[in-house]
Amino acid sequence: MKNRTTLLMACALVSVSCNKSSAPKEGQGAAPSGSAASSQGASGDTISIGATLPMTGGESRVGGFYKEGYDLAFEEANAAGGLNVGGKKLKVELKLLDDTSTQATAVSLADRLVSSEKVQFLLGTYSSHLVEAQSVVAEQNHIPYVNGGGGAKEIYSKGYKWLFGLLAPVQLLSSALMEWIGSQQTAGHLPKQVKIAVLWENTAHGKDFREGVDDYVKKHQGCCEVVVDESFELQGKDFGALLNKVKASNVDVMLADAHLSDYITMQRQYVTLGLCHKVLSYGARGSEKQAADALGKEHIAYVLSSVWWNAQLGTAGMTKHFVDLFKEKHGGKVPEWYQAVSYETARALFQAIEKAGSTDREAVRNALASLDVESILPGGKLSFPAASGQQAIYPFVVQQNQPDGSSPIVWPKESASNPGVAPNPACK
Amino acid sequence: MIDLLFSAVLLAGLYAMMAYGLGIIYGVLRIVNLGHGGMIMVGAYAAFWMHEQFGLDPYLAIVPIAIASFFLGVGMYKLLVKRLPRGAAGGVQSLLLLFAVWLILRNTAYLLFTGNDQTLRTSYSTNSFHVATAYVSWNRLAVFGVAIVVLVGLHLLLTRTYLGKAIRAVAQNPSSCTLVGIPVERVYSVTFGLGTGLAAAAGVLGATLFSFNPGYGSSELLKSFVVVVLGGLGSVPGTALAALILAFVEVFSIKIMPSYLTAAVGFVLLVLVLVLRPGGLFGQRVLG
Repeated sequence: MKNRTTLLMACALVSVSCNKSSAPKEGQGAAPSGSAASSQGASGDTISIGATLPMTGGESRVGGFYKEGYDLAFEEANAAGGLNVGGKKLKVELKLLDDTSTQATAVSLADRLVSSEKVQFLLGTYSSHLVEAQSVVAEQNHIPYVNGGGGAKEIYSKGYKWLFGLLAPVQLLSSALMEWIGSQQTAGHLPKQVKIAVLWENTAHGKDFREGVDDYVKKHQGCCEVVVDESFELQGKDFGALLNKVKASNVDVMLADAHLSDYITMQRQYVTLGLCHKVLSYGARGSEKQAADALGKEHIAYVLSSVWWNAQLGTAGMTKHFVDLFKEKHGGKVPEWYQAVSYETARALFQAIEKAGSTDREAVRNALASLDVESILPGGKLSFPAASGQQAIYPFVVQQNQPDGSSPIVWPKESASNPGVAPNPACK
Repeated sequence: MIDLLFSAVLLAGLYAMMAYGLGIIYGVLRIVNLGHGGMIMVGAYAAFWMHEQFGLDPYLAIVPIAIASFFLGVGMYKLLVKRLPRGAAGGVQSLLLLFAVWLILRNTAYLLFTGNDQTLRTSYSTNSFHVATAYVSWNRLAVFGVAIVVLVGLHLLLTRTYLGKAIRAVAQNPSSCTLVGIPVERVYSVTFGLGTGLAAAAGVLGATLFSFNPGYGSSELLKSFVVVVLGGLGSVPGTALAALILAFVEVFSIKIMPSYLTAAVGFVLLVLVLVLRPGGLFGQRVLG
């Protein structure tokens, strides 16, 4: 009995630890240069904006990318003298905390930012499940919450008034992939009816991904058959059994919806198991440098990814301005969609504050709701339509890794610099 | 089917490696070492660091890392664990103390390596060979091989050497050992060191297969619990067999349930065993 009691206590402690028990940390260098040093809410000439990002834990790498985007937007605004609010220039200050990639911490820190730090507005964290949890705090406190990290449609289906999202719905992500596959079928590069395995993380994001594929299959009768439809646990360690099931199903196309760490783990096991499909995608993941470093670029060649933004869109106008600015700050590093979306998220809030001409929360919320501005996002426009629950809607861009390490845009046609390759020539 | 079979057997090797250290410490000291997860993480980072800094192959790094961790374990025992009350009275204190050790290890890793996921990439990371219709990863096979070597080594150590016999005697009755001149405290410290070294070695092997960050070791510790309880607390061969059972159940359960539920299967097994056979599937034994 004593043994059992001890073991049960041990299990409880371990479970607590599994929820990433490390103490929340202030984001390193959270206050960007040029911002005021005040840490207690708004001072007369400073607007205090709060945010949490996953600076540690499973999403830490992407959290770092988002921070780069936020920092750039804040620095740019402050370098221009601040925001023009009702004829007065106000600097912006970012209070950034580390939510350790966990829901409970994201919620409690958002609460702390509002109640203790007295921030006037909130910017969002990264990944749908954290944004979903955090958006409740914004709603309860009647504070505008602009996020670029939650793409799941479910988050915006609750009728929340204070929530605004820059990530277009994940259904559009998978349907963009399917549209490219359809174009390859039309061109005769893929069978008239492709057999598909859909693997999705067991989150709202994953469910939307699967729904996007399902919608396409229903609309295009006979084009495709979903043979494997499986979900998996976020941040899994061993996908061997799942991949063996895919292998046994003999499909032409494997579409997975995975976060960066799961993509790397799964792709490593995919290669080891000798798998090769005519088309392979991990949803929004694929072209990340970390994946190439971890797996070797030869093992991620021809992986297709559908993303919210691509630096190749930056040939002119404000998109080029962002790309140049980012490169200048980061020693020539090319921004990925993470930095672009977070930069644009902060900018959307700034524009709404300027449009409202005041820092009154209700006025800024209304300005966000009616915002319709030029944007660096695909399509060139940003708005938060009420019909979609204040989630921005715009087309995804599909890119494909090439053996030389590049990832040109292959879809939509009007943005494509390369038609893409199918079937994967590496498959024997 | 043959793919799943290979997958299960090779996964069992990793599970067994992860559980040996936890099992041996519990078998002798009657302490659930919550620092075990932390040491798995330390092993992973140590291998990563040695690979990045010196280009040392992780399989060659196992021995120095295990030896260094052995001494770290001995030090931890002498500095901390030794001061705990023995028996049931020390149960809760040991949990809290070793949980604190784990948190310190984790936060140290955050400071040194940041929270980013790391991957240990070698020239053979993705290499595999063909058996019938299955592809077998060289890496996983090597992990399995190390697990077998460690199993045999542990068995020989515990049954054929004076130290092993002393460990088993202390596990059975520490008071009588004192009467016959066995240095119980030394046996305790060596056992704690051994368990810590094995945990770090398991971390090295895990790092060759998976990405890791400072949170690494949490789910590995839970799996180790399941394996140790299934195998019967204190039984080394039982641990290996339990690892095989857990791996088979997890891998083959995908045939009848969604993939995301397969990780929970082990915990259902844990509850069933605790309720129906609290001594483990193979009974409670005194090591060996």
